[in-house]
Amino acid sequence: MATESRLAAAAPWASTGARLVLGGVFLVAGALKIIDPQSAVAAVRAYELLPVSMATIVGWGQPFVEVALGVLLLAGIATRIVAAASGLLLVIFIAAVVSAAVRGLSIDCGCFGGGGPVPPGQTAYGIEILRDLGLLLLALWLVWQPSSRFAVDGLATGRPRKAAR
Amino acid sequence: MSGPKNLNARERARLAADQAAARKRERRILIIMIAAFILIVVGGGIAFQAWRTSRAPSAAPSTSVSVSPVTITNGRPIPLGSAEAPVTITLYEDFHCPHCADFEEEFGPTITQAQQSATARVELYPMAFIDEGSITAANAMACAAEAGFGQAYYLGLFANHTLQWSDPQLIDLAAKVSGSSPSEGFRTCVMRRAHADWVTSMNAAADTNGVDQTPTMLINGKEVDIATLTPESLRTMINDAAQK
Repeated sequence: MATESRLAAAAPWASTGARLVLGGVFLVAGALKIIDPQSAVAAVRAYELLPVSMATIVGWGQPFVEVALGVLLLAGIATRIVAAASGLLLVIFIAAVVSAAVRGLSIDCGCFGGGGPVPPGQTAYGIEILRDLGLLLLALWLVWQPSSRFAVDGLATGRPRKAAR
Repeated sequence: MSGPKNLNARERARLAADQAAARKRERRILIIMIAAFILIVVGGGIAFQAWRTSRAPSAAPSTSVSVSPVTITNGRPIPLGSAEAPVTITLYEDFHCPHCADFEEEFGPTITQAQQSATARVELYPMAFIDEGSITAANAMACAAEAGFGQAYYLGLFANHTLQWSDPQLIDLAAKVSGSSPSEGFRTCVMRRAHADWVTSMNAAADTNGVDQTPTMLINGKEVDIATLTPESLRTMINDAAQK
């Protein structure tokens, strides 16, 4: 009982931290890509997974998905749903980087702007995947423990509201 | 827990079911609202980027490097600057490569200075491997060099590197950097991709010379490590090369 209540007391703070870190990373990563749309498209094309026209749309649009999710996470709006969507996005990122590594491409993931081909031997797939896995853990934590301090939420965290109407 | 004590079990169960249904409904509405929010942001974002990449180029940085019209020869780079300059700076760049734009922003002024003082001249290999815009820009660069405003055009292409480089944008840029309406010859050169073969030959030349990334810079034929370069160390390198 004692450890359980301690967890119950600490979890909202841990969730606040997870929200701020994940949201902050998404917001920064998205903004850096929005600044330079040409680079973002080039980065998507470097994965050689999408036809040109699709790569353009994804290169332009995907950073805004990150910014939208980042803003929602930082504000703490619908944390469980947004965290699940963030987790899904991260799984896609990880799959894309793994596929680039498996196919032997020499590219930068373009996770924080830039991206595109790099000379052979200068890839950093291991670190890129580890970082995304770490962020995925934060997202999964938030799906499990969505209620947190300093959040707009309270609504639709998947729990009954405690506050009186 | 907090329910009235006089409710029987069935009523409590019904109340709980009602609450569960209400929560589910709330949740569904919330998911729709979140999805709509993301869609609006992304849709707006795509429209914003489409506008940004298709708008007219802004004015290019002015340059006093005078370049006489050059002849475009397959496999040969575009010379920019005084032919008598003691130092040759060879540049392999794609007008749409992100790192090239960063490189130009950081080191462009130093290189332009060396060109202006007739210390160095640039031999430009515009490569085209990122996208369609790389090709159209490289072709237009050759057209501009032929027309005699290559240097200004080169700076203008990098100053506006977020543009997609459609024909009207490339012609507009020529008008902005040359200060007058571009000639019919230039327009035709851009629209007909007059130097398409030359653009291909640039990629081939880079391949032959063992260049596998952009930007790549050589000073008097010696490759420079851009990763550790600062504008100051570049200036020193150019001046040292001029002394020899």
